[in-house]
Amino acid sequence: MRRHLDRLRLRLRSLFGGHRVDRDLGRELRAHLDEEIAANEASGMNRDEARRAAGVAFGSIASIEEQCRETRQVSPIEHVMRDLRLAVRALVRQPGAFAASAASIAIGVGANLTIFALANNLLLAVPSAAHPGSLVNIRTGNGSHVSFDGWRAFNASGALDGVAGYQFEQSVNWRDGDDSIAIVPFLVTANYFDVVGVPVQMGRGFTAADVDRDPHAVVISHGFWRRRLASDPRVVGQSLVINGEPYTIAGVLPDAVRGIAGFGLAPEVYLPLSRALAPSITRPHAAYAQLVGRLRPGQTVAAGRAALAAVAARTGEAEGDVGLQTITAFERVGGVSQADEFRALAAFLVVLLVVSSLVLAIACANVAGLNLARGLTRHREIALSLAVGASRGRLIQQLLIENLVLAAAGTLAGIGLTALTFILLSGITLPLPLPVEVHFALDWRIGLVAIALVTASTCLAGLAPALQAGRAALVPAIKAPERHFFLRGVTMRRALVAGQMTVSLVLLVAALIFARNLTQAASVDPGFDLDHVLVAQLSFVEGRQGTAAQPAASAIVDRLRGVPGVDSAAFSEGVPLTIFSGSQTGTNMRIEGRGDPMRVDFDSLRVGPGYFRSMGIRLVRGRDFTDADRAGGPAVVIINEEFARRYFAGIDPQGRHIAEVKTDPASAEIIGVVANSKYRSLAETRDPATYEPLMQAGARPRFIHVLIRTRGLPESLMPAVRRTILAADGSAALTPMREAMAFALLPSRLASGILGLLGVMGTLLAMIGLFGVVSFTVNHRAREIAIRIALGASRSMVMRLVLQDALRLVAVGVVAGLLLASVVMTPLAAFLVAGVSPLDPASFAAATGLLAVAALVAIVEPLRRAMATAPGQVLKLD
Amino acid sequence: MSRPSDLIQGTLDLLILRTVANGPVHGWAIARRIQQVSGDVLQVTQGSLYPALHRLEQQGWLKASWITTGTGRDAKAYALSAAGRRQLAKELESWERLSGAIGLVVREA
Repeated sequence: MRRHLDRLRLRLRSLFGGHRVDRDLGRELRAHLDEEIAANEASGMNRDEARRAAGVAFGSIASIEEQCRETRQVSPIEHVMRDLRLAVRALVRQPGAFAASAASIAIGVGANLTIFALANNLLLAVPSAAHPGSLVNIRTGNGSHVSFDGWRAFNASGALDGVAGYQFEQSVNWRDGDDSIAIVPFLVTANYFDVVGVPVQMGRGFTAADVDRDPHAVVISHGFWRRRLASDPRVVGQSLVINGEPYTIAGVLPDAVRGIAGFGLAPEVYLPLSRALAPSITRPHAAYAQLVGRLRPGQTVAAGRAALAAVAARTGEAEGDVGLQTITAFERVGGVSQADEFRALAAFLVVLLVVSSLVLAIACANVAGLNLARGLTRHREIALSLAVGASRGRLIQQLLIENLVLAAAGTLAGIGLTALTFILLSGITLPLPLPVEVHFALDWRIGLVAIALVTASTCLAGLAPALQAGRAALVPAIKAPERHFFLRGVTMRRALVAGQMTVSLVLLVAALIFARNLTQAASVDPGFDLDHVLVAQLSFVEGRQGTAAQPAASAIVDRLRGVPGVDSAAFSEGVPLTIFSGSQTGTNMRIEGRGDPMRVDFDSLRVGPGYFRSMGIRLVRGRDFTDADRAGGPAVVIINEEFARRYFAGIDPQGRHIAEVKTDPASAEIIGVVANSKYRSLAETRDPATYEPLMQAGARPRFIHVLIRTRGLPESLMPAVRRTILAADGSAALTPMREAMAFALLPSRLASGILGLLGVMGTLLAMIGLFGVVSFTVNHRAREIAIRIALGASRSMVMRLVLQDALRLVAVGVVAGLLLASVVMTPLAAFLVAGVSPLDPASFAAATGLLAVAALVAIVEPLRRAMATAPGQVLKLD
Repeated sequence: MSRPSDLIQGTLDLLILRTVANGPVHGWAIARRIQQVSGDVLQVTQGSLYPALHRLEQQGWLKASWITTGTGRDAKAYALSAAGRRQLAKELESWERLSGAIGLVVREA
């Protein structure tokens, strides 16, 4: 036992008291040498002879010391500690190179980490809920939303512990003093807070029992409380006037709550889902809410799904709702999902991650280049360490540790950059219709990625130079002039720079193609007029205008038609290509003349008279809606050409009737056919659509838009239009149509913006690399250049010499880059709108040109230096 | 700088333990003593001696202390620990067995 303790003590001593042990060892060996010298002198040698003989007999002290250290069994750790100390010392000795390298890595890591943190926030974040692990998202054959009857049946069945629903497709007016502010709430089923268990900071969430007593309850977000209610601590129990009725504040959520819907959605208020707030749900089978279920204790996901599937099959059958009969998705919340929107965003972020890791690779190549350069100037030091007994393994280890320190410092700075980016991001308001919040938090996923990035950059930046140094041949390195030794290192460095050129060309190609994609997307013809239409989103001061939205809107439209410069005006529930773009329905429909009911999928929009003229949509045949198409009159509907083509199959639709199975027995007569247009996204090709008269709709919409077609530029009429609407006692957010549809362009805009930024970063880093290698060669060839000049070479010949050298690198990079880009871009075709080829020759050519210019800029300075060589001075120096 | 084979290393350990058994003695003196006693046949180089000494100390068989030598220098002296004494006995026994066996084979075979 005692022996074990002793051994432990010795090991600890050699680990932590490394300095003292080493000192003792040196003292011990010197004592030995002294004894030897004394003995030699005693045997009759003179002092010098005694010293020399002892030295020869003894050999290398350093080597013996190293062997002794290795016999101590802690040596690997001790070596690492020593190397860490050495690395920090070596790095601090060259603060410039250290800062440049760390900054390169910081930029690369920052780009990667920012994108990963975004993905983490938008896609993978676990929502703020009690036991989020037992919450599941539920989808049926009807898509994301389930009908009211479906929800009620699911929740009552007992298949799961509970099923709650939410939707955020509606907007409500909140009266703030004299102002009326439109906000997008989460409309949730009464049991939402019971089922999900959202944490609440003040007060509490409303319960099903509360809502049964009085549905006028509201839960507000921390942000809403802070921004709009000035953090009033006595706010619980007070009321907010929403759509003209008082809602009592039940609770305030804590800061940084992650919403259940994912995608960073952070609603400002939660209201009980009711017919008063969401009129569209009154229609039978209408999309009611997205569902989130709570598994029973101990119930597995598979068991929950099976139990609910049985309920769904029964309910769908009884309701005559085919889509409801199957459960298409049943997944834990906050994880990887199969939902379309999740997959699209994930694919997009993965592409960005790949691109940003290319930027990191370029940054690491710069550091590797610096390392190689340093290795070349340090080659004698390295060769000497090898000669006095350092093992190659130890040497490589030491160089790698130096890079580890560098990478760790760079990554720390990169994390700082990421946090900074998030602070900046939170200050930018994207043209999103919904409140989205991203929070940067260091969770285990970010930690893992940071560690992976440190490892990757250490290896990328350090491995090649370390192996290079480890291979150093002893004798030539010590004896030969640098020239010999450095050739190999230079070859490797040149290969690195050519690689950087390759990768930055790929980045530039991607950036340019996506920039082209943006202009192309912006010029896609949506099928309606973008340049002469103003969109007014009306809101009325509740109480004064009442909720009689349609008559008020009619009055406003009538007045607007009289404004000089206005060609026509119409009201409409939604506006295509905005968040209020109407709804998409898949249902069974009876179509007159086609026999049995058939499944149809179409977009539907509820509009007022004059809508098509105001939007510039051609009426192909039949008539537009008139003021006579109002409640009580015969039901009428207008379809688009695609609906006629697809579902009437050659029959003339004019005057025929269509009806959704099992809804109103009254079918609607088709009174007209209009041209196709885009409804929800620019990417859709040709969607069937129906238009119903808004004034015939069963329920009043909460929201009304007015579309005003102008003869001149829409901007010039904005003041007159605003005045007119104000005079009619409403207020309106006015935007030209082109701006209103910015939302539809957001994905293209984000893609081109981010790729452009990464492309610029990559190219700048590659320019630094090229600059480095060219200046290095110019310095090392200074003598050759001086001799050439002395022998009569002209400046232009020197220029050609250096240029040739650099351009060969760039050319290799460009050729490889063009090949690689064509491979990389092909799978990205899915992200491009029609008309943009992933192999767009113009973009490839422009990227090559840009890179060539960047390369020239990078080598101007070393080139100038080479041409200014004064042969006399350089040759004298040698 | 190649490592001594196991046989040689084991033998060197035995030589050192045996030499140290007579009382605290420093590295130079250990090497000198082995050389003298073996009649200049065995020369232990510093490159093998010190790693071996440190390894034996690490094993807990040797105890080290700083002493002042007869020539007035500070030196690190090694002595057997209790465990070292047992180890020496064990190694001596196995050495006797081995050398006896080799001797038998060499003479009789």
